[in-house]
Amino acid sequence: MDELIDPSGVPRPLANSVMDLIARLGEDELRARQELAELDIQAMGITFTVYSDGQNIDRAWPFDIIPRVIEGSEWDRISLGLQQRLIALNRFVDDLYNDQRIIADGVFPGDLLDQSVNFRPQLRGISPKFGVWAHISGSDLVRDDDGQMYVLEDNLRVPSGVSYVIENRGVAKRAFAELFERQRIRPVDGYTDELNRLLTSLAPDGCDDPHIAVLTPGIFNSAYFEHSFLAERMGAELVEGADLVVGDDEYVYMKTIEGLERVDVIYRRIDDLFLDPEVFREDSLLGVPGLMRSWRAGKVALANAPGAGVADDKVVYAWVPDMIRYYLDEEPIVPNVPTYRTMYEDERRHVIDNIGDLVLKPANESGGYGILIGSRATKDELDEAVRAIEADPRNWVAQPILSLSTVPTLVEGGVEPRHVDLRPFVLTGEQSYVTPGGLTRVALTKGSLIVNSSQGGGSKDTWIVDGRYGSSYDASPPDSPARATPAPTQTQTQTQWLDEDG
Amino acid sequence: MVLLARTADRLYWGARYIERAEDTARIVRAYNDLVVDYPSDELLRWDPLVAIHGAEIEVAHSADDPAGERAVLRHLIEDRSNTSSIASSVTAARANLRTTREVLPREAWQAVNQLAQYVDSTASAAIERQLRDRFLVRVVEISRRLDGVLESTMTRASPYRMLRLGRLVERADMTTRVLGVAAAAILYNERTHDTERINEEVRWMNVLRSVSALQMYQRRVRGPIDAMTVVQFLLHYSAFPRSVQGCLEEIRSVLVTLPDPQPVLAALEDAEATLTAVDLDDAEAERLDRAMDRVQLAIAGVDAAIHDRYVGPLG
Repeated sequence: MDELIDPSGVPRPLANSVMDLIARLGEDELRARQELAELDIQAMGITFTVYSDGQNIDRAWPFDIIPRVIEGSEWDRISLGLQQRLIALNRFVDDLYNDQRIIADGVFPGDLLDQSVNFRPQLRGISPKFGVWAHISGSDLVRDDDGQMYVLEDNLRVPSGVSYVIENRGVAKRAFAELFERQRIRPVDGYTDELNRLLTSLAPDGCDDPHIAVLTPGIFNSAYFEHSFLAERMGAELVEGADLVVGDDEYVYMKTIEGLERVDVIYRRIDDLFLDPEVFREDSLLGVPGLMRSWRAGKVALANAPGAGVADDKVVYAWVPDMIRYYLDEEPIVPNVPTYRTMYEDERRHVIDNIGDLVLKPANESGGYGILIGSRATKDELDEAVRAIEADPRNWVAQPILSLSTVPTLVEGGVEPRHVDLRPFVLTGEQSYVTPGGLTRVALTKGSLIVNSSQGGGSKDTWIVDGRYGSSYDASPPDSPARATPAPTQTQTQTQWLDEDG
Repeated sequence: MVLLARTADRLYWGARYIERAEDTARIVRAYNDLVVDYPSDELLRWDPLVAIHGAEIEVAHSADDPAGERAVLRHLIEDRSNTSSIASSVTAARANLRTTREVLPREAWQAVNQLAQYVDSTASAAIERQLRDRFLVRVVEISRRLDGVLESTMTRASPYRMLRLGRLVERADMTTRVLGVAAAAILYNERTHDTERINEEVRWMNVLRSVSALQMYQRRVRGPIDAMTVVQFLLHYSAFPRSVQGCLEEIRSVLVTLPDPQPVLAALEDAEATLTAVDLDDAEAERLDRAMDRVQLAIAGVDAAIHDRYVGPLG
């Protein structure tokens, strides 16, 4: 389905103002504005880094000026759902590193933990402030043909992209100034203040005016722009591992021109395994020897806490709805993509009976290995898959094939529908916060589901609009959700999501 | 306000490279003016200019480039293998300052970024005469805009001061190089028997133009332009901000506001003493050249002391 245009080709009410303006401007003016937006992006130095032929190339951030519009009331629900989800995920992580009640109660199979590459047994017995491990997270959402938004995956380690949410808005405001005058579009630049507040709240007890630092792997990291952006917007220090040292008193210090200065809260954008060569990878030059000792002793706060990634792999994903019920005694507000776990008999039966309509994923492989797309497989391949499931039912999960929604996008041939996803960012501490909207990524190639910016994907500003939708508001009820022709037979598993930093 | 030692280093070098690009642009522009004014049936070679970045290279003189103009300009403007060319300096400045965005006013970063984009896209075309002047003026202008932004919007604290130090150390150094190159040019012309072709007043006028000092000099001296007065003016007349003495005094005023600057102040005193000792009774080229080498070494001593004090022991 297209989010802005209904199946008969008429703009949906919430997109009236945008589509109306685009029609009035005409393609030439639209292109002129697109070019101006790109010049803006260059001049402001909004970049991302890609690796190519052994070189790091600092590229201008790709941006499409036609915004994606989402209704405020729908967003409020999604926002609540994401808060709920992250609270449950954090309870889960805290539980795993402590009492493991969820395993004892038979809701989560304990042996899955043994296979997890992101579980850090060294951290058992630790409970960070507020019991929160994943303070900053980004969940990827997709909208299927039924119009429903689903959570496709959670990123609880070092999710990136939020800087582009804020920068995209700055660019969009200049490109479509007239629309901002007429509509109530929720602002997005409160994020860095909220993040600052959250990080401040994590400071060790008794530290009223904490020194906050953003820890980056350095200039060669693909998300360096963002690290620098966040430090700038929060007035925090941007540090690399070599700028920090852990003293004999187990406090963390940064090396300044006036000597050593204490750091109280570190927003780390380095992967767990590189954080501290004393505990994790010995060969890490990015980290800080002794950092984990300091954290354990409560002398520095780390966001996100190491080990939080245990809850964002694709096996654990299948249990998130159960976690929400188990810890919060609530039903999930934003659904998972239905995920069948063949270790459970009824789900296995469903998978085997419907294998031609499902995507089958091995639980322990990453990077897309061993994935079988039912609709594309031969009879022999399907039979083989059924045998594999029956031989080792714990090793598989299956999902229906989704088709991602589209949004009109300015491409070579004019304005055409292109597939999108959405990554909102969620802050979890004493309170929760969700960015209004998030990062919309768009696959610029027709029919493609690849939204990754390093592979030709673009981005869009995401507008959460409230109330009446501008001057040409149509009071008649929107058409029933479209049942468009099925999208190209690709699945969400082929979409390459924005990498995490590490 | 906290300043990481690593960030201090990057700010200092970012500013040095920007200043180097700006000063090189001024020097090339002044020489270009001189060449354009020169009768076209006589050859004024560009060779002496390569010494500005301390390189000792043979300039290729081909049939379609008898004055070495294109070869020298390529070296000074766009050659990436010359780490001090305008293109290299601007890239280095951007690379350094890109890692200090959290302490730099946004507008300042944008000026640097814009300069880098402009130089990347235009440097090779600037070898051509029609575009050259516009290019050089633009480099100077964006560099000046950057200082304007810093001057008017940046908190006076350690990050600002490290940027100032970078600017001033480089500027002092470049002024000595302009004088050194003038001396080298005289020697070169003596060797190639060009001396009589260029009159002395024009040559020293060009030296003054290279550091944008001609007008200020004339207001100060109110007389004909001669070698000795020009050298004295550019070395010792501290009221002029591009004079070496002026730069050193400003460096002092910045240093005293930084934490524990004693070791750097000691190096600065050495540099001031070296400068004072330059007491030429005539602008004899070889002596001038050697004197400038000594002052450059003393300035390098200040640079090393800044590094040792604010970056080295921790970095």
